Amino acid sequence: MTLFIEDNAPVIVQGMTGHQGMTHTARMLNAGTNIVGGVNPRKAGQKVTFHVDETDSDIDIPVYATCGDAKEATGAKASVIFVPPCFAKDAMLEAIEAGIGLIVVITEGIPVADTAYCVELALRKGIRIIGPNCPGLLKLPETDDPADKGINLGIIPDGIVSSGPLGLVSKSGTLTYQLMGELSDIGFTACVGVGGDPIVGTSLVEALQQFEADEATKAVMMIGEIGGNAEQDAAAWAKEHMTKPVVAYIAGFTAPEGKQMGHAGAIVSGGKGTAQDKKEALEVAGIPVGKTPGQAAQLIRKMMDGGTSKA
Amino acid sequence: MDLYEYQARQLLAEQGIDTPKGIFAQNSHEVAEAADEIGYPCVVKAQVRIGHRGQAGGVKLAKTQDEAILSSEQILPMTIRGHKVNGVLVAEAKNVLHEYYVSISLDRSSRDFDVLATANGGTEVEEIAKEHPESVKRLHISALQDFDMDAARSMAESIGFYHADVDQAADVLLKMWKCFKDNDATLVEINPLAKIGDSDDESSKKLCALDAKISLDDNAAFRHDGWKRFADTTHTDMFEEHAKEHGLHYVHLKGEVGVIGNGAGLVMSSLDAVSGAGEEQGTGVKPANFLDIGGGASAEVMSTSLSIVLSDPQVESVFVNVYGSITACDQVAQGILEALKKLNISKPIVVRFDGNAAAKGLKILEDAHNPNIHVSATMEEAAQEAARLAKHTKETTK
Repeated sequence: MTLFIEDNAPVIVQGMTGHQGMTHTARMLNAGTNIVGGVNPRKAGQKVTFHVDETDSDIDIPVYATCGDAKEATGAKASVIFVPPCFAKDAMLEAIEAGIGLIVVITEGIPVADTAYCVELALRKGIRIIGPNCPGLLKLPETDDPADKGINLGIIPDGIVSSGPLGLVSKSGTLTYQLMGELSDIGFTACVGVGGDPIVGTSLVEALQQFEADEATKAVMMIGEIGGNAEQDAAAWAKEHMTKPVVAYIAGFTAPEGKQMGHAGAIVSGGKGTAQDKKEALEVAGIPVGKTPGQAAQLIRKMMDGGTSKA
Repeated sequence: MDLYEYQARQLLAEQGIDTPKGIFAQNSHEVAEAADEIGYPCVVKAQVRIGHRGQAGGVKLAKTQDEAILSSEQILPMTIRGHKVNGVLVAEAKNVLHEYYVSISLDRSSRDFDVLATANGGTEVEEIAKEHPESVKRLHISALQDFDMDAARSMAESIGFYHADVDQAADVLLKMWKCFKDNDATLVEINPLAKIGDSDDESSKKLCALDAKISLDDNAAFRHDGWKRFADTTHTDMFEEHAKEHGLHYVHLKGEVGVIGNGAGLVMSSLDAVSGAGEEQGTGVKPANFLDIGGGASAEVMSTSLSIVLSDPQVESVFVNVYGSITACDQVAQGILEALKKLNISKPIVVRFDGNAAAKGLKILEDAHNPNIHVSATMEEAAQEAARLAKHTKETTK
């Protein structure tokens, strides 16, 4: 089974011509991602030139009026969305209507009702949304072939890690990079940021399902934070279905009740969604929880060394 | 954003849901006028963003103007479980025959909306839900779905409204749903949804929202004029306000170590590391704030952040934790030096850089030869150092 999406799949960028879109399209291209088009109705027919450092060459990316046009012209299998929150619902709907199989939404600040609507619609059509308010998906190359560049969708920095046996799923961007850095010598199959909003298109459970089904992934690092029940749901699912070891880290033990800690979803309300509750649920399910990101990295490192994997 | 009861009632009333007459008042003079206008007996209710205020003495019945004033003088200065009372609502007292509970909320796990109801409403609803979970009925509404009067009626029946109340309950449900959708709410709760009236006169009986709780989605503020009408000018934290003006996400936590980082998760993790260090060192040192400089922060953003954190007089040391990604550590380093130049800072700043331009950033700090800048290799070491220095600064400046 393919982990999220096959390597080198054609990708379009919605909001490519904006500041964020330009910056990260250039970055994704340099990471080897096969970007084949941008979407902007006001700039349809134009081409945007990006520079690729590795080959020291320029590449022209065409701009299409709609996702439908872009898909027809390029066969795009994924879209990365960088549009502002007020346009995000329309952008997601357009990508869903066009039948693009994987939609990665980087935008932060989308009203939760808009996300809920798009996520439900996508689920019914068998389309996966990752995010919103997430760093995206990084897949490391599956093979040793130098032409295989994996795929980098979103804003996860390239060059921190290489291919290896770990999977990583996280609600937070920088903590993802932190753990990638700590475990760079072991390496990853894929790192996915599911996002810090109350409703996201790919839950922690759904990410675990992907890693469980992927042969190359041998263990999973899961990074959670306060708010909601996603970690408890993941713990319950892992206990029943997961044959591979999982190690977790949870942020926000010191977060006060009723205060939103940066992410829209990171809030303890009515005594629910505390880091302590999550930690306990994970430990009951046999998932060790590191006290710090560094300790979580050590736990998974020991597992990989000691071969204590259940698999 | 959580609304006060008087604001929540306003939103319900806009949809045509029956609520007893009520007037918001913030001093005893206003309370006296309000009570006269409402009539006696009336209820004086603390306006505070936390539940169970009744048990804390925040709700009192007044039969005369003197009693209303006395009640408000007791309630207005109260702080209920850490939340300051913002005023009182003076409301009509009703003859309650029965209390239901009904809410509509966002369900994060099932990614849809929940209608929750029980015929056993009132102040003990949480205990009842725990002891008799079967008495609480739950219905999911898909995010793609809407519902009409017929659906609302069968909903009202299935969630346990008594036969005589079903039509009225369906009407309330439909209006609550509209209130939820129109206002981009994440919670609309009526507890109690009371049956009021004369027990002998069937025609006088009706359902009325005696209390309400509404939370709004901050991300939707852009399509509701920034929620200006619900702006709370009396109870905002000075530091949080200041940070907001600069577009920074800051939460005041009232400890000794200021914390600045990039990314909500990393900053939360840094807070935990500081608390952990304070515990380990036996000093009880705690984080003073949460401050996320966000992605791609410039030197200016970093400099502003540092000045906001240091404007809190309780801050004894600062922990800057940056994992460079879109954010470049050399920019952050420049920002730290700019702030040091502008402000006369004598507090120690512990810096931990990793990722994008980390080496460049550390070189900039090193070349500045500033004795107040301390560099640590890992996040854990930096947290330990910041906690230790906070304790030290506090003792040496006393």
